[in-house]
Amino acid sequence: MNGELSPRMKVVVYGLMSVLLIPFVFPTWWMVTSSIKPISDIFAFPPEIVPSRLDLSTYAKVFELQPFAQQYWNSAYIAAVVTVGTMLFSSMAGYAFARIRFPFANTLFMIVLLGLLIPSEVTIVPLFRIFLSWGMVNTHWPLILVPIFGAPSVFATFVMRQYFIALPVELEEAARVDGLGRFKIFRTIALPLARPALGAVGIFTFLHSWNLYLEPIVFLSSPEKFTLPQALTQFTDAYGGAMWNIQLAAATMTAIPVLIVFIVAQKQFIEGLAHTGLKG
Amino acid sequence: MAPATSPTGSDHTGSRRRPFWTMERRDALAGYLFIAPQLIGITIFVLIPLCLVFWFSLHEWNVLAARFTYTGAANYKALLSDPGLGEVFGATAIFSLGLVVLNMSLALLLAVLLSQKLTGITVFRTLFFSPVVVSLVAWTIVWSFLLQKNGGLNAILQVFGLEGSNWLRDPTTAMISVIVVQVFKNVGLNMILFLAALQGVPKELYEAARVDGVSPFKQFRRITVPLISPTILLTSIITIVGSLQVFAQIAVLTQGGPGMSTTVLVYYLYQQAFQFHRFGYGSTLSIVLFVIVAVLTFVQWQMRKRIVFYER
Amino acid sequence: MAPVKLANVRKSFGAVEIIQGVDVDIVDGEFLVLVGPSGCGKSTLLRMIAGLESISSGEIAIGDRVVNDLEPKFRDIAMVFQNYALYPHMTVERNMGFSLEHRGHSKSEIAERVQWAAQILDLAKLLDRYPRQLSGGQRQRVAMGRAIVRNPQVFLFDEPLSNLDAKLRVVMRAEIKSLHQRLGVTTVYVTHDQVEAMTMADRIVVMNGGKVEQIGTPLELYDRPANRFVAGFIGSPAMNFLPGTITRAGFEAGGVTLPLPGPIAERDGQDAVYGIRPEHLALDGEGLEAEVLLVEPMGSETQVTLRLAGQQMIAVFRERISARPGETIRLRPDVAAAHLFDAASGARLN
Repeated sequence: MNGELSPRMKVVVYGLMSVLLIPFVFPTWWMVTSSIKPISDIFAFPPEIVPSRLDLSTYAKVFELQPFAQQYWNSAYIAAVVTVGTMLFSSMAGYAFARIRFPFANTLFMIVLLGLLIPSEVTIVPLFRIFLSWGMVNTHWPLILVPIFGAPSVFATFVMRQYFIALPVELEEAARVDGLGRFKIFRTIALPLARPALGAVGIFTFLHSWNLYLEPIVFLSSPEKFTLPQALTQFTDAYGGAMWNIQLAAATMTAIPVLIVFIVAQKQFIEGLAHTGLKG
Repeated sequence: MAPATSPTGSDHTGSRRRPFWTMERRDALAGYLFIAPQLIGITIFVLIPLCLVFWFSLHEWNVLAARFTYTGAANYKALLSDPGLGEVFGATAIFSLGLVVLNMSLALLLAVLLSQKLTGITVFRTLFFSPVVVSLVAWTIVWSFLLQKNGGLNAILQVFGLEGSNWLRDPTTAMISVIVVQVFKNVGLNMILFLAALQGVPKELYEAARVDGVSPFKQFRRITVPLISPTILLTSIITIVGSLQVFAQIAVLTQGGPGMSTTVLVYYLYQQAFQFHRFGYGSTLSIVLFVIVAVLTFVQWQMRKRIVFYER
Repeated sequence: MAPVKLANVRKSFGAVEIIQGVDVDIVDGEFLVLVGPSGCGKSTLLRMIAGLESISSGEIAIGDRVVNDLEPKFRDIAMVFQNYALYPHMTVERNMGFSLEHRGHSKSEIAERVQWAAQILDLAKLLDRYPRQLSGGQRQRVAMGRAIVRNPQVFLFDEPLSNLDAKLRVVMRAEIKSLHQRLGVTTVYVTHDQVEAMTMADRIVVMNGGKVEQIGTPLELYDRPANRFVAGFIGSPAMNFLPGTITRAGFEAGGVTLPLPGPIAERDGQDAVYGIRPEHLALDGEGLEAEVLLVEPMGSETQVTLRLAGQQMIAVFRERISARPGETIRLRPDVAAAHLFDAASGARLN
C-alpha cells in the first residue's frame, strides 16, 4: 500500500499468506489426488497428502455409471450459448442506455435494473409453470433462456453500460462524421473498445451457467439431459451413500479444464474483472 | 451589436417542413432496437413470472393432483403459522450475516496483503482467486469429502492429536461449515474488487499522511476505508443478495440438516414447491424472498448516503 | 470546397436557448474562427454544422444544400476533435482510411489517398503505429490527416490545439494555416484562445452567451471592437476600462480628465466607459499621474500594473522602465486608439 516493507514485515506477510492459502488450494489438491488413489487409500490414516499408489480405473467408471460425456457436452454448449447470448444482448442494451438518447430511456433502464432484485430463485415456480405449458420441461431451453434474460444478464447490462459511459464519446462522433451509422459504430468502434468489460461479462456469465444447480434439478429429469453439477451428485450407491472416488474423479474432470484455462489466462481474467464498471 | 451578415432565407426557415424521420427520431429508433431483445426477454422471463408469483401465492396448486384453486390469503395465513419458518429465517439470517462478515473481512485482509509490493505476489493472487473458477458443485463435493467424520480434515487434526467433530452432522458445526465452504469459494471475487479499489487510492495521500506522522493503522482507517467505501458498499450488496440465493452448497453438504439447522429460505422454498409439490405455498415463500432482497437492496442504497464518504 | 450559410440558427435544451439566432455567411475557401469564452456556444454551433447536434430552428446550408436534417456522413465535412478522437484499436493508416472504407472506395484508392495525406503531413513513417505510440503533435497530425484524405467541402476544427504544450501549439498553428493555404478548403475553427483566433483567421466570429457579438477580420476586431465585450476579449493583456462621464472638456473619471476620441457633440453628460489598450499608454512627462503597483519585465517589453484615476490598469512599454512599486509615473493615452462604450449597453460610441 505504502512504500517498501521492512525485511521482517516481508517474512510476516509471506508467512500469513502461505497459511491463509491452505483452505484455498488444499481442497483442489485433495480432490485430484484422492481421485487417482485406490478406493482403499482415500480414507487412509495417516492421510496421504501425496498418493503412494495410483488407480485410474475410477475415471472409466465415471463414464460407465452416467452418460458423462453427453452431460459434459450439455454443460459446455449451454454455457457457450448463454455466454454468447448474454454478451450480445447485454452489450447492445448497455450501449443504448449509455449512449443513445430516446424517450423513456431512464424509466426503461429502471425496469431493467428491477431484474437485479428478482433472482431466478424468486420466480422458479412460475418459470416452471411457463416452461411446462410450453412443453419445455426436461429440455435445455429453460437453462438457456432464463440466464440470458434474468438477473445475471441485467448485471451484465449494468456493467456494459458503465463501461460504455466511460469511453470517450468523441470517438463515436468521429465515426459518425466518417460516415458510420449507429449499428456500425457499435460494431466497429464501441464494441472493440469494450473488450475488457465484455471479457469480464463473458467470464461471469460462463461461470454462472457452468455452476447452475437449482434450474437443472427443477427442470431436468433424464440423465442424458443432465448438466455437470447435477451429474456430479448422482454417483451414489444403492443406499444413497456417496461413491467418493468416482464422485471426485468426475469433479476433477469438471473442475480442472476451467482451472487450466484460468491459470493460462489469469492476467486478462483477473484484470478484466478488476477494470470494469464493478469498481463502483 | 455588429452588423452580422445579412440573414439569408430566413423568411422561409420558419415554414420549412421538417421530415418526420429527423436525426433524433432515427437515433431513438436505433435505441429501441438495441434494447428490444433484453427488454422483451426480461418481460417474459422476469417481470411476468414475478406477477405470476403473486397470483400463484393466492392459490393452492398441486401438479400431481392437477389441482389449481383460489384460496385467497390462505397461504399467507399458513406462512404465519408455519412452525418451521422461524428456524428457516434464523438459519437464513445466520448464514447471510456470517457469510457477509467473514467474506468482507477476509477479502479486505487478502486485498491489503496482496497490494504489497512483493515478488511472486501475482502467484498468490492467482491461487487465492482459483476457487472462484472451480465448479461450485465440485468444490462443495470435495469439502463434503473433507468434512466427513473419517474425512481429510479430521485425519489431519488427528495427526496433531486433536479430535474433530462430525462437522456436517452436528447442528452447531454444520452451519459454520456451510458458511466457511462458501467463503473460501467466492472470497476471491471481492478480494480482486478491493484490490483494484486499493490500487485506485492516490499514493500521494499516503505520502502526505506519512509526512504528517499518521500511523499505518490510522492511515487505513482514515484514508483507505473512506476512499474505497463505494467498493465496500457495492460488494456488500452483491454478497448479501448472493448469499440469499445459496442453494447448491446446502443441497450437497447438508440437505438442510441436521434437523432444519441449515435450511435457508431458498432451500425451504425448493423443498416445499418441488419436493412436497406445494407450489402455492412455494410461491408465497418466493414473495418473502423477493421482499427481503428488495428491502435489503433499498436499505443499502439509502446507507450509501451515510457511509460512502467519497464517490467518483 | 463550398460556402457555408447559417441563417437564424437556434438551439434550445428545454427552456434554455443556448444558441440564440446566429447568422453567418462563410465564404468559399475562407478560414473562419469562432471564438468566445467557455460556454458561449461556439462548440455547439460547430457541432451543429457537423450534424452532431440538431438544430431547433433556422437553417444551415453547405454549398447550395440545406443540411438541417442530414446525417453528418451526407454533409461532406471532416472534423478534427479536441482530443483527436483517434480510434485506439486501429493503426494510423486504418484511422486515416477509415472514412473512405465506409464510402465504398477501392483498396488501392484508399491507399493512394492515405499516402498522399501522409506525405503532406509527414506521417509516412508512422502509418503502422497505433495512436498510443504517438506523441501529442503526431496524434494531432493524424487527426488532420484523417480529415484531409476525404477531400471534404468543409473542415471543422474543435479546439484542436488545446491539449498541446505552448511551444508545440505555435508550430501546429502554423502547420494548420499552411495546410489551409495549400488546400484552400473552407474551414471553421473553434477556439477559446484569442491569440489563435487573431493569428489564424481570415475572419473571426466573437460569440458570447449564445449570440454573435461581432464578425470581422482580426484587425477590424482589434481596432474597432463593436462593443465592450469584444474589446475586452480581443487583445492581450486585455483592454483597460475606465467608467466615467463624457463632458465638453473630455472624459471625466476619478478626478482626472482624459482627451476624447472624435466629436462628442450631443453626448455631453452621458455615462460611458473609456477603453484604452495597454500598448496605447505612453510615458509622457505632461501626462496623467499613475501609481506603479507592479513591474513585470519580459525582455522585449515591460508590463506595468498601475493605478490611474482610482482604477487598476495595465500598461505595456517597449522601452525598459526603471520605476519601482510605489513610485509615480506620468502617462498619456493615444487618443486615436481610444474607445468609448455606452455604460449601460456596452455598445461602441465613437
